[in-house]
Amino acid sequence: MKCESCNKKLATVHLTEIVENEKKERHFCEDCAQNVTNHFPKAPSPSDILTSLINQVSPEIREMSKMTCPVCGLSYLEFRSQGRLGCPMDYNVFKKGLLPLIERMHGSSQHVGKVPPNAGAEIIKKNEMIQLRKELNEAVEKEDYERAAELRDKIYELSGNVEDGD
Amino acid sequence: MEIRDLSDKTGEWLRGTGKESDIVISSRIRLARNITGYPFLSRSNLKQRKEIEFLLRNTIIESSIAQDISYVNLNNATSVDKLFLVERHLISKEHAAGEGERGVAFGKSETISLMINEEDHLRIQVIHSGFELNDTWETTDEIDNILGKRLNFAFSARFGYLTACPTNVGTGMRVSVMLHLPALGMTKHIEKVFNAVGKLGLVVRGLYGEGTKVSGDLYQISNQFALGKSEKEIISIIESVIPRITSYERMARKALVLESKDQLEDRIWRSYGMLKAARMITSEEILQLLSQVRMGVNIGLIDNIEIQTLNELFVLTLPGHLQKLQGCELDSTQRNIIRASYVRKRLEGL
Repeated sequence: MKCESCNKKLATVHLTEIVENEKKERHFCEDCAQNVTNHFPKAPSPSDILTSLINQVSPEIREMSKMTCPVCGLSYLEFRSQGRLGCPMDYNVFKKGLLPLIERMHGSSQHVGKVPPNAGAEIIKKNEMIQLRKELNEAVEKEDYERAAELRDKIYELSGNVEDGD
Repeated sequence: MEIRDLSDKTGEWLRGTGKESDIVISSRIRLARNITGYPFLSRSNLKQRKEIEFLLRNTIIESSIAQDISYVNLNNATSVDKLFLVERHLISKEHAAGEGERGVAFGKSETISLMINEEDHLRIQVIHSGFELNDTWETTDEIDNILGKRLNFAFSARFGYLTACPTNVGTGMRVSVMLHLPALGMTKHIEKVFNAVGKLGLVVRGLYGEGTKVSGDLYQISNQFALGKSEKEIISIIESVIPRITSYERMARKALVLESKDQLEDRIWRSYGMLKAARMITSEEILQLLSQVRMGVNIGLIDNIEIQTLNELFVLTLPGHLQKLQGCELDSTQRNIIRASYVRKRLEGL
């Protein structure tokens, strides 16, 4: 069967059109079919479907979905599907997406535990501050004002040369 | 040292010593650590994996953390050897199933085990017999400090120790206490324990950790959160929960003795009889039998078996151990026969 458009090549693409309840069969060669099908609405690709699903469920992922770690090459979507990070830097690169996840998992997103023995003096001090603030909050909650005042003084003393925040 | 040399002995954590050791089998703490300058393992290439393994292995051996450290390269270990190490709690199931350069270093007493290239570059694990979390933490902390001085662990002031899975980030610590709770299991009160423990952010698992089912009435209670609390705070949460569970178990045992003494005693003596007479025992069945007899010893019904013997049999009769002991691969029927004869021998010598 020859292509009904160019009438030269063999028809390899067979389309069924339904117009006003009437079925019509059409036969094209590959080249002509390309032109014809371009006019049809395109079916969404699996990745389009996935993205639209994710957008509905979690807006945070939409924003993060285009991000890739410059160090290890892991994309945020890969992380979400595998649940494993690629390198320490990912905690910084994907921070915005990770924070709510980490909050949900641990009920907190601030480390208050051990610091490596060879960590810089800055980190050690910063960690100590965090620990003290936590204790201060607890002391206030327990209405142990004597202890709270002690802790406050310690914090003032330490905060002289440490910048706040991260 | 050859793995074979270990096959009819067990680690110190099965000695049945330590606080509350009638119910608490062991206290275990593990820390997850990664080295800065390398991607996590899922993103490391073969060369990086090799370098990490080399660096960690040498650092561990040079820093003489424990007496007579043995190192097993898992990349070329046989599947029986890997199974054997899992059964002994020296490596995790995931570590056995993994691929590429990886290994485990452990001390002679098997109290300390250092897994290289598991999910994280390094997992430090310390197990003690009984309810001994503080001692366990002291040892763990010490090893972490020794290694932390020689290696640069990935760390941030905000998130703490950085790990491949964000569930471990922060302290990188998981505390697990293994409990033997036959009476709570029998009376179905165990469900209540699960619920109560869950509310505290703790989780109950089977004998071999994540995703394993409960057998032999052995349960592991561990923390789910690793961030936002210090190591000592996490330990103290678990420390405050365990005595409540153990006293609940003791109450359930007392109630069983009071309310259905004959049935209970019958069940225990039957189990004892099976262990001493059966010619074939499956791995599932033996855990149940040992569990019953262990409770029999605890409530004073059976007085001629040491708790240590029973604790050890829980491990020594597992498939990997039997095959190691026999020195060849065995199918399940052969294992069932050898398992039964091994237990008979151990109990006859009483």
